[in-house]
Amino acid sequence: MASPQDMERMGGIPHWEPENIIGRMDLGTLLFSHDYRHVAIKGMLTSLVMLGLGGLMALLFRTELAVPDIQFFDARPYMSLMTLHGMFMVFGFIIPLVISIMYYMMPKILKTGRLIWAKGAQWSWWTLMVAAAALVISRPDFTWTFYPPMSLRVGGPLVWLGYLAVLLVAISEFLAGAVLFANGWAAIGKWGWSKLPLMGWAALAEGLLLMGSTPMLGLVAIYMLTDWAGLTAVYDAGRGGSTMTFMFMFWFYGHPAVYLPLVPAIGILYTLLPRFLGRPIWSYWSGVVAFALLTVLSFVVYPHHFQPAPTISTPLERAAQILTLAIFIPSTLHVFNWIATLWYDEIPSSARRAVPFRFIVAAIFFLMVGGVTAYVNGQIATDSDFVHNTYFVPAHFHAMFVGFMANMAMAGLYYLYPYMTGRIYSQALGNTHFWFWQIGIFGKVSMMYWLGYAYFPRWVVDYLPLPQWALPQLILTLSAYLIGLGFIVFIYNFIRSASRGASVTGDPWALSRDAATGAEVPAE
Amino acid sequence: MENALGASGYTATMLAIVFIVLGLGIAALFAALFLPARWKLKYRMEFVFVVLLVGLVWYADRESTRIFTAYQGEIRKAGVISSAEAAEPGRNFDHVIKVIAFQWGFAFINDEGRISRNAEIVEPGAKVLFRIFGNDVIHGLNIPAVGITAEYEPGVERDLWIRAPEKPGKYLIQCLNYCGVGHAQMKAWLVVREKEA
Repeated sequence: MASPQDMERMGGIPHWEPENIIGRMDLGTLLFSHDYRHVAIKGMLTSLVMLGLGGLMALLFRTELAVPDIQFFDARPYMSLMTLHGMFMVFGFIIPLVISIMYYMMPKILKTGRLIWAKGAQWSWWTLMVAAAALVISRPDFTWTFYPPMSLRVGGPLVWLGYLAVLLVAISEFLAGAVLFANGWAAIGKWGWSKLPLMGWAALAEGLLLMGSTPMLGLVAIYMLTDWAGLTAVYDAGRGGSTMTFMFMFWFYGHPAVYLPLVPAIGILYTLLPRFLGRPIWSYWSGVVAFALLTVLSFVVYPHHFQPAPTISTPLERAAQILTLAIFIPSTLHVFNWIATLWYDEIPSSARRAVPFRFIVAAIFFLMVGGVTAYVNGQIATDSDFVHNTYFVPAHFHAMFVGFMANMAMAGLYYLYPYMTGRIYSQALGNTHFWFWQIGIFGKVSMMYWLGYAYFPRWVVDYLPLPQWALPQLILTLSAYLIGLGFIVFIYNFIRSASRGASVTGDPWALSRDAATGAEVPAE
Repeated sequence: MENALGASGYTATMLAIVFIVLGLGIAALFAALFLPARWKLKYRMEFVFVVLLVGLVWYADRESTRIFTAYQGEIRKAGVISSAEAAEPGRNFDHVIKVIAFQWGFAFINDEGRISRNAEIVEPGAKVLFRIFGNDVIHGLNIPAVGITAEYEPGVERDLWIRAPEKPGKYLIQCLNYCGVGHAQMKAWLVVREKEA
């Protein structure tokens, strides 16, 4: 079975004495405290607000899309909602949430005892809040990828605030990356390279991704601002600029960007899965190698977002195709590792009961549902048939972002809940949230895949009443409502249980096994 | 309906691989959760697994490149990509049609210089070359019936070819890339007329 070395590599146990931290925080503590738990809770709370707002926007435009023709929205408000939905969910909800969960867990798991450079995390949060406000004021309608020259010709007189928001997001993410890298680096000093817990590897990988990619996003935002103001014409093809330059620069950030929430979510999974099972991960080195490969590959595959393009050489496109397909390997190594971990011994009944464990299992399921189609997304020939800019692409990234990352974030929140409030959530409501989400996400993702295969175009407010489009759109909207309902159940559960849930002392996740299969295992 | 890339069989193969890999993955996950038998995998099984994945990557790259090179080869044969000279109709294509994509619509200029907005008439089964040019923003062009998609930047010409469907009728041509508020309305029709007796 597990060697002592394996046990050691799992890192410290993410366990605190359950206490009502949230209840005892006043506004001053919430805003300015440098205690890692306060910083993390602040990030989690604002992320959930952003999830609520982004989800509300999604439900609004989903209602519009439920049936063909224009019902409530014109194209411009629809695109504003779509743009803000994308930006809130990615920059405001999922990336800050999984990073906040890492802030909360790292000091225990890496045994650093505190969040190193918590000031950086503070500044990162404040910058993000300013960015969110600027975004709402500017109400951009140029989608989250703001391709010029279209993006330079749309929006109201305040649209420049949108580019400023992008610049602030870049700064905020860079600071968060520096914090994570500093913590991972400090942990190496404590543990050494060969024993660093996988959460530490996640912190290093995430730090490198953030610090390596965000300067380019900042530069893109600055050029968009100066192009918009008419001072430069870097991207504006109408005035001698090049849209291809934009593509290369933007996607140099844009591809690592989609791994920004992925890597922390994987790190949380590597931490919580052994915690619930009471045994180490099946293969430590497989996890380390997969993190390293994923980080390196994420910086070199970005041309797949805009190929085939007439101005890119064939060898470069082919190289991007092979590297993109190669990402299949580290991602499946992670999944292989998790399934092998689940399989090599009994699953304790305490884990089967735990709501966060269920979210982990669902996350693994959706990582496979989203991941396998990367196999057709990566190939130029299928890409030129039905993948490029049809619903196939949103299907792929919603399976990853919602199915994997948001499910993992929920697993982290449910796991931390007793430690933050001193009470346990309602099991029944937790299960209701779980099933609403999984059925909703599955309905949504499968319908999006089908619509993509049926050439449904992205970013349209109105569509032809074709039978292969109309019914899936309706099911898609109903699935989205189900996810929204699950979110309401979740918020209600978290607020209600904070005052009325059963009090917890000791270890809320203590292991127990069925009488039939084995003896009671003592808690850590 | 003929796929422009000639990719029907290839697409089916790739989707079959996707479904098989997904099915195996989900089966393994459920087995690990619910099977009473517990099983500790040997580490060398992961190496075998990686070799299988490398094989899948190699196969995908080879097939995708084969299909797409053959498709591009048809355009090269007409001398469109390699030389600046315009292709003559009849050399490799039945029609050479200039497409001007604009905010928001498509204009077609056919072999005889006739301009038509948002519809182009072709014979059934005709081999048609579209020389696409956009001069405002990035647009896309997609014809679902024949399974071809492209995104193109302003100021650069892009060539696509299709074999028109055999069945007479109206086939959708749509923009796939967000190009401004009129994006959803950026549509045109490929009209396949009855074969002349």
